[in-house]
Amino acid sequence: MSKPSVGIFGLTGCAGDQLAILNCEDQLLDLVSLIDVRDFLMASSENDAACPLDLALVEGAVLTRRDADRLLAVRKRAKLLVALGTCAVWGGVAAMDRGTDRGKLLAEVYGEMGLGYDSEPARALHEVVKVDLKITGCPIEKDHFLAAIANLLNGDAPVYPSYPVCTECRMLENNCLLIERGELCCGPVTAAGCAARCPNLRVPCVGCRGPAGDANPASLLAVLEEKGIDRQGIAARLRTFAPQGVAQ
Amino acid sequence: MKTVVVEHLARVEGHGGITVELDGDTVGKVHFDVFEGARLLEPLVRGKRFDEVAPILSRICSICSTAHTLTSLKATENAFGVRISPQTELLRELLFRGESIESHALHIFLLAMPDYWDYPGATALAADKPHAVLLGLRLKKLGNLIQETIGGRAIHPVNAVPGGFGKAPSADQLIALRGALIEGMKDSDTVVDLMASLPAANFCHCDTAYAALFSPNADSYYAGDQVMVSSNGELALFHAADYRTLTNEQAAPHSHAKHSTFRGRPFMVGSLARLTVNPRRLTGKLAAVLERLQLQLPTSNPMDNNKAQALELIRDVERALEIVEQLLREGVRDERPVGVRPRAGTGTAITEAPRGLLIHSYTYDAEGRITAADVVTPTALNAADMELRFRRTVEECVERDEAVIAKRLQMVARAYDPCISCSVHLVRRR
Repeated sequence: MSKPSVGIFGLTGCAGDQLAILNCEDQLLDLVSLIDVRDFLMASSENDAACPLDLALVEGAVLTRRDADRLLAVRKRAKLLVALGTCAVWGGVAAMDRGTDRGKLLAEVYGEMGLGYDSEPARALHEVVKVDLKITGCPIEKDHFLAAIANLLNGDAPVYPSYPVCTECRMLENNCLLIERGELCCGPVTAAGCAARCPNLRVPCVGCRGPAGDANPASLLAVLEEKGIDRQGIAARLRTFAPQGVAQ
Repeated sequence: MKTVVVEHLARVEGHGGITVELDGDTVGKVHFDVFEGARLLEPLVRGKRFDEVAPILSRICSICSTAHTLTSLKATENAFGVRISPQTELLRELLFRGESIESHALHIFLLAMPDYWDYPGATALAADKPHAVLLGLRLKKLGNLIQETIGGRAIHPVNAVPGGFGKAPSADQLIALRGALIEGMKDSDTVVDLMASLPAANFCHCDTAYAALFSPNADSYYAGDQVMVSSNGELALFHAADYRTLTNEQAAPHSHAKHSTFRGRPFMVGSLARLTVNPRRLTGKLAAVLERLQLQLPTSNPMDNNKAQALELIRDVERALEIVEQLLREGVRDERPVGVRPRAGTGTAITEAPRGLLIHSYTYDAEGRITAADVVTPTALNAADMELRFRRTVEECVERDEAVIAKRLQMVARAYDPCISCSVHLVRRR
């Protein structure tokens, strides 16, 4: 069997999901023996920028016309397109206040010249092209990435938890930062898969993995309001990593 | 007139390119093009509460996310007059070293080294010289282990918070870390041997100024608030709060990164700058490393930054082990972060990220909501210097062969270890 051809791409973001791949130090050389990485600009200066791809892994959000064009070109080449990380899946931090006047912000940072820059409100990949699989996380968990590759090599679709961070946190028997200490913890509405990394360190969840499928935001809002935390503050907090993340 | 274009720089973080115009023997315009999208995080962070700031601004860049987090915390703590505990100081320094080890190992072995032997990347290099790639991966993993143990995650650390840490590492975790660091120390000589065996990269010579955090007593990335600029043998020292002396930034039409000069001259930040500005740290074993690598300071060759990173990598592993041993000797307390009481005011922090000086400066209102944020990153500070050195590289390339020019330009660009996502986030005009 020939090795599947793979491309790894970064749109606008911090490159953290590509770095998470490079952080698989123990598996990296095995990985490149199983897949044929044909296009990975961050790791190689010799890339085939046109070949068809069995698998395209794309991180980052769409923030420029250039990003959108690159994404459309990648989609055309790829049988399967995977959104890698919170920016690709949800829009990420750059999308936190999409309603804000972009021209004003650009002028503020760059002066008049900023108005001429190629810059658009941040979009998640699925707002521009069809996405076949989403691996969320800021950054993605290495294990989720490796499991996805292993699954796809075997023709299976990987499955990720739809329950919230709270479920994992309770299983670790942590004291609840929200109920017991009144801290604004996004665990109840944030997608699990991180082993409740933050609350396990007594740090409130900031929601970096985006919304959980099975969350109950109404109940979280009620608990937080009872603790005296205002609704607007909660909404803003839940929007930090995913513009659609806030409960309607 | 012809133009040499490096369309999309490979083996660097982010999206940038190089354009050089050649008119016969005359080098015309030289541009370091940055077309990474502008995420505008500095204005977007406005109005956020002080404890939300570091997790958002850390996302400026993954490779420097620990430096961004810790610099952000220091700026916030400076604004509120928070004094952190000695244990927190020590743990933060350890975390900084972890990031430096990971970042330098990634850059030296996986991004920069393939060029010296004409490989397109680390995978191809691994087929012929597996020892070099495995050494890099081993050290990279060590850096990540430190970041995971102390920061809670290798990228975008979560455990460092205003006033301290969510949870201090346990003695068992530190013992495991000590074991890994002792193993890492054994790689020091291998690193030096490998670096000394690299083919020479002598194709750009151009004096420049260097700027780095000045730390007379220790080689710290995190402690200290004085910046030293060394320019033509002249030294200038200024305080963190006066960082604008250094960041007299100009927006450029070809780039989403602004350009910085010091008294009208470009300058370099990063490993080479740190060693040039703080030569007193280079004693004993490090002096021997310097000699084996034939690294003479100050140097006019930007490629020497790769050697300087290798030297720092060795020192980082050694210093990380010292810190872990001190923590085990003195015992780690399960302390909570010190209380943070917001007040209106401004706080500025300057630190040494793996790629050089990093500045975060914030203004808060009395409720602890941020009203203004300035972030100045090493790659933005280096941008003007990179263009200076690109020009010199082309001038020195007498063959005028486009492929040779393009390759050398990319090697020089990589020597700065640019982090282009970082460079896009710049100070606001005032």
